[in-house]
Amino acid sequence: MRDHERIEELMAARALGGLDASDEEALRREMADHGAGCAECRRLEDGYAETAGRLAFALDPVPVRDGLEEEVLARARTAAPEAQATGERSGARSWLRPLVAVAASVVLFAAGWAAGSLTGDDDPTTEGARVVAFEGEAAGNLAVAFRPDGSGMFLLGSGLEAPPEGKVYEVWMFQEGTPVSATCFTPSAEGTVFTFVDVELGPAEAMAVTVEPASCPGAPTTAPILTADVVA
Amino acid sequence: MPDAMLLDRRRDRRATGMAMATDLNEARDRDLMRRIAAGDEDAFRGLFRRYAPTAISLARRVARQPYLAEEIVQEAFLALWRNPEAYDPGRGSVRSWLMGMVHHRAVDAVRREESQRRRAEEAKASDVVVVEDPAEAVVEEVGAPQERETVRAALQGLPAEQRQVIELMYFGGLSQSRIAERLELPLGTVKSRTLLGMRRLRAALVGMER
Repeated sequence: MRDHERIEELMAARALGGLDASDEEALRREMADHGAGCAECRRLEDGYAETAGRLAFALDPVPVRDGLEEEVLARARTAAPEAQATGERSGARSWLRPLVAVAASVVLFAAGWAAGSLTGDDDPTTEGARVVAFEGEAAGNLAVAFRPDGSGMFLLGSGLEAPPEGKVYEVWMFQEGTPVSATCFTPSAEGTVFTFVDVELGPAEAMAVTVEPASCPGAPTTAPILTADVVA
Repeated sequence: MPDAMLLDRRRDRRATGMAMATDLNEARDRDLMRRIAAGDEDAFRGLFRRYAPTAISLARRVARQPYLAEEIVQEAFLALWRNPEAYDPGRGSVRSWLMGMVHHRAVDAVRREESQRRRAEEAKASDVVVVEDPAEAVVEEVGAPQERETVRAALQGLPAEQRQVIELMYFGGLSQSRIAERLELPLGTVKSRTLLGMRRLRAALVGMER
């Protein structure tokens, strides 16, 4: 019988969201070694996922903002026909097609952004916010939203393909011709990304996305797969 | 009847009642999922109302930004709506699966922020669990208060050093290496505390039903 101590340790930590990229890779290797049919692996994985999911219920629930349910449902109504009509889940899409999914996210993000400012959170407002879509050969939609005079930006995407194993997408800001790393990301299982990147966009004139090692290097090692002009 | 036997019987009845409430809730959740798969919006609303209050609480705890938490929860529910077949009843409960999606997104969001370290400093493990009873505007489903009590008891039952690591990881969104840095512990110690703590939690939370 195989020893499951190592894979159990990794699965328990992964269920809690505690693995670093190197341990994620180690888990992938362990799972490959044990094989897809490893019943004990599946039992451990399911057991720890169930355990971690239950931990959420230690928290007090919070009131749901009025209107949130309708917003989710409105987005769901928009999303369902698209998926059903085209059969698309994560396949290639042309960048020339409307950025429907991203636009929906941007609208809702903007609403949340504004709401945050109204409630006194230390966040920028949407006034003067710009949304810039990336273009290129890669599948999916990706955009950044930011205020030219503010700090930080939101990165939003949908329909994105997973990067190759052991790789991540790295976003670069070109400042006076020099690429400066903004962030690294891996899309969710559904091919989406929505994250705030706390960087000074400053004098950046363009942005790009490359595929990089999970270590997220400080200089690009591959050619851009997506680019965006930031200058208005 | 001796007091000890009376206490045992009361404890047994309470445990049976909790298990029944949990089973009932799970059966209702699975029915909602079946209806959602058929495109039933009312079922989607039903599941949202049941779990959005906890989902938002979780996303806020990890991401520490209310508007981002809302977006995370919206994305999780949209993923559920778009692909309800992703839920496999043979692998666990609907609520754990759903909270797993929320948690994964929240951790992903917080990891991408370069200000994560600053946020993590604000996330004190000690304020995670010990909170008075829920907000007045939240309607609890049958079984939920008992589950909350059970989960909190399971966490409180852990040795302090294991609880600390697990809370920093799950509620604070920190990786094991970050926790090791923060607590000035060897990484191996953090890993072993994680595993030992999770084994205990699994026995307390999942073992009671399976």
